[in-house]
Amino acid sequence: MNTLTLLATIGLAALIHASFQLSVSMLTILSGHALGSKTSHKRTISLASSFTLGAMAMTILLLSFGAYLAANLFGSSIRPLVWAVVCGLMLGIGLAVWVFYYRRTHGTSLWIPRSMARFLMDRSKATKHSAEAFSLGLTSVAGEILFIIAPLAASALCLVLLPAPYQIAGILIYTVIASLPLFIVVLLVGGGHSLSHIQRWREDNRRFLQFIAGSALFVLGFFLYVNAVVAPSIIARGVTL
Amino acid sequence: MLAVDVVKRGGERPSESFERIKLERSIRAALLSVRTPDGQAEDTARRVTDIVEQWLAEHSEVTSYDIRLRASGALEQLHPDAAYLYKHHKVIM
Repeated sequence: MNTLTLLATIGLAALIHASFQLSVSMLTILSGHALGSKTSHKRTISLASSFTLGAMAMTILLLSFGAYLAANLFGSSIRPLVWAVVCGLMLGIGLAVWVFYYRRTHGTSLWIPRSMARFLMDRSKATKHSAEAFSLGLTSVAGEILFIIAPLAASALCLVLLPAPYQIAGILIYTVIASLPLFIVVLLVGGGHSLSHIQRWREDNRRFLQFIAGSALFVLGFFLYVNAVVAPSIIARGVTL
Repeated sequence: MLAVDVVKRGGERPSESFERIKLERSIRAALLSVRTPDGQAEDTARRVTDIVEQWLAEHSEVTSYDIRLRASGALEQLHPDAAYLYKHHKVIM
């Protein structure tokens, strides 16, 4: 795969990451509670921005750690078996997203255990300081590791194959795209939009987002399987199409 | 104060007496969350709480879910946006 393909793969993986909703849910609750308790507009934006920065920081950390681990374990030439495992992970998680990412109730209830959801909701409501919002942002990304591990792992492997200067660009591309929904919520809240409109949109489109996230994982898994597992083995056997 | 016992959601916590101020505060917070001006939020929260209290006067024991349902129904007539958030705040995540 060439540099452009690798960067595009990272971009698509980041879009899949962006479609997962735990961070957006927590940011919605955080902003709603800040507005509801008469926190000043500036303070509300500061909390929401700190939360977003925390989510970005955790994304960078997880991706960098994944790439570091991959570079140390596999070097710069990643064996097809490793790609096959990651592709399998993407297909499995794609199916899991389709089946149980959202609960079968109204609203935007996610897969996470209810006790954990209650804890995160209580923490989001109790957040008063930017440092707390930052750590909540970190937690929101870590809390969804079961699902984001697939796009993160694929991106980490792609990063290892990129030339050094592009690796930083790859990390930035991934982080910015994965955090886009949070930027949008912060901008909407900052622009004076009603939280109920944001939540209504999320609820109306949750099945679509779920379908797109699952399908995109299938598509990316299949694409990587063909490019990184099937194609090299065909080339190695000297088969010409 | 009305002598009404409120059974908490899921029965996990002990029942407690109905407190008007708690209900009014939660409705006001929902109204402020959708950027309702302060005065209007106070007024609407008071009116919704009055409606819920009228209904409570006919009961000696209710669940917190019943109260939420009644309050969101009353709020729906006065401020649909806030009612939506009030009704759904537990299913955002």
